[in-house]
Amino acid sequence: MRLRPKPAWLGLAPSLVVLAVFGLYPFVEVVRFSTWDWSGLSAPEYVGLANYRELLADPAFWHSLRVTLTFALVTLPSFILLSLVVAFALEGQPYERWVKGLLFLPGLVTLSAAAVSWYTLLSPEYGALQTLLYTLVPEDSPLAAWLVVPAWDREPFWALLLVAAFTLWRYLGYGVLVVSASLKGIPRTLLEAAWVDGATPRQALRYVTLPLLRPAVTFLLVVGTILTLQSYVAVFLLTRGGPFGGTRVLGYFIYEVGFEQYRLGYAAAATIVLLVLTLGLAYAQARFMEER
Amino acid sequence: MKNLARHLFVGLLVFAVTLPFLWMAYAAFLPPELVYAGEITRLGFSFENFRALAPEGFWGRLVYSLGVSGLATLLALLTGFPAAYALREGAPLLGLYLFLLAVPAEMLLVPLYGVLAGTHLLGSPWALVVPFAASPFVVFLLYQGLRSVPWQVVEAARIDGAGEGVVLARVLLPMMAGHLVTAGVLAFAAHWNMVLYPRVMTPETWWTLQVWMADLVRKYPSDWGLLSAAALLGTLPLAGVYLLFERKIVETFEGSLKG
Repeated sequence: MRLRPKPAWLGLAPSLVVLAVFGLYPFVEVVRFSTWDWSGLSAPEYVGLANYRELLADPAFWHSLRVTLTFALVTLPSFILLSLVVAFALEGQPYERWVKGLLFLPGLVTLSAAAVSWYTLLSPEYGALQTLLYTLVPEDSPLAAWLVVPAWDREPFWALLLVAAFTLWRYLGYGVLVVSASLKGIPRTLLEAAWVDGATPRQALRYVTLPLLRPAVTFLLVVGTILTLQSYVAVFLLTRGGPFGGTRVLGYFIYEVGFEQYRLGYAAAATIVLLVLTLGLAYAQARFMEER
Repeated sequence: MKNLARHLFVGLLVFAVTLPFLWMAYAAFLPPELVYAGEITRLGFSFENFRALAPEGFWGRLVYSLGVSGLATLLALLTGFPAAYALREGAPLLGLYLFLLAVPAEMLLVPLYGVLAGTHLLGSPWALVVPFAASPFVVFLLYQGLRSVPWQVVEAARIDGAGEGVVLARVLLPMMAGHLVTAGVLAFAAHWNMVLYPRVMTPETWWTLQVWMADLVRKYPSDWGLLSAAALLGTLPLAGVYLLFERKIVETFEGSLKG
C-alpha cells in the first residue's frame, strides 16, 4: 500500500518536534553517556565499556535487580487479581459507577500528600493506626499481639510490602476500569447462549467470560510491568530505598547513583539495563499472551 | 447471602481506599499539642496547622505548581489535538506514540538531564514545561476519541470548503469536549505528580509543591498536623477538578479502552 500524505498530517509537526528532542533523542544520549565517566558538572571522559563491566561486578546493582523482580512478582499478580475480582464484584451493582470513580482518585491526587498520609497513618509503634488500635484493644490483652503494625522501618520485607500496597492503592482504579470496560464489551447473547446450552454460572465464567477478558489482562500485564518497574517514586517518598536497601528498586538505584553520588555515566549504563528489562518484559508478555 | 459477601467486600475496599484521605482530613485539624502528646484519638479542633503553612512558603509553591502544570497541560492539548487528527487521517506514526507512552520522563532522568543541559533549560522553570509540551498519552486518548467520530461529518465540512483548521476548531472541537477535558485532567495529574524530575532538574527555588512537600516530611517528620494540612490543601485542587468532571472522565477513559 502506498501512503498518500494529506494536509492534515502537518498537525503532527509541533508534537513531533518536542517528542523528537525530549522523547527520542534521550535514547541516543543515554547510550552515549553510558560510555562516559561524568559527574554532570565536570567535563566527561570517555571510558568505553568500563561502566558496564563495573555494573556487572557491583553487588549493589545485583541486589537492586533482585529487589526489583521481587517487587514485580508481589505487585503484578495482586494488581491483576484484584482488578479482576473488584471489577466482577462491582459489575451491575447500584454503586458501581460511584465506587469506580472513587477508586480512580488515589491515582490522581497529589502523590507526596498521599505519601504523607500513609507515612503518618502506618508508622510502626507511634503511627495513627497503631495508636487507634491500642485505644480500641488494650495493649496487654492477648488480642493486641495480633494487631501490631509491622515494623517496616526495620524489616525489608514489610517495607517492600508497604511500597507494593501503596502502588496497588494508586493504580487499582485503572485496572478495574480496564477489566470493567472489557466486561461490558462482552455481548450478552454469548452468555445467554451458554446458559441455554446448560452451562452453570461457573462454567460460563470459565469458558466464556474469562477467555474474552484475555486482551484486557494482556493489556494490564504490559502496562502493569511498566508501572511496576518505574514506580520508584513511591520508594523515594516512603522508604528512601531502606531499610538495608530492601526497597532499593532499580529506578531508585539509578536516582541515587546519578543524582546523589553524581555518577551520571554509571547511572546511564544502569538506565539502559532498566529500559531493556522493561521493554523486553512487556514485549515478551504481550507475545506470550497472544500465542496461548 | 452471596450478595452480602459482595457488599461486604466492596465496603471493606472502599474503607481501605478512603482511609488515608479521611485520616489526612482529620489530622489537618488536630491541635499540635494533642499530636505531640500522642493523644490523637482525643477530639480537638484547630486551624493552627493551616496558619503554620504560610511561613513555610506553601501558598507560593501552590500557585507556582498550578501554573507550570497548567501551562504544560495546555500546551500538550494544543499540540496533541492536531497530532491526533493527523493520526486519524492515516499518518503512520501511531506505533511511535505508543512506544513513547511506555517510557515516561521519570525513567529517562539521566539522559534528559543531559538534553536539558544542552538546551540551556536545566535549572529554569521551563525545564518543567517545554519537554511536556507534547504528551503521547494525550495524543493517544484524543486519537481514540476521534475514532468514534463519524467521519462523514468531516468530509461534509470539507465539501463545504472548510480547511483543516476550521474542521479542527469548528467541527471536531465541540464533539471532542469530553475527551479534551479527560485528557487535560489526566495529563495535569501526571505532570502535577512528578517528584524526582523537578527535584533533579531545578534548584530549590523552582521546586514544585510535590518536591517541597517531600522535603517538609524530612524537616518535620513528627509534626503530623502541619504535614496533613499541607497534604490536604495540596490535594484539594486536583480532587476538586476531578470530582467536577468525574463522570465524564471515567466514562471517556473506559470508552477509549474498549476500542
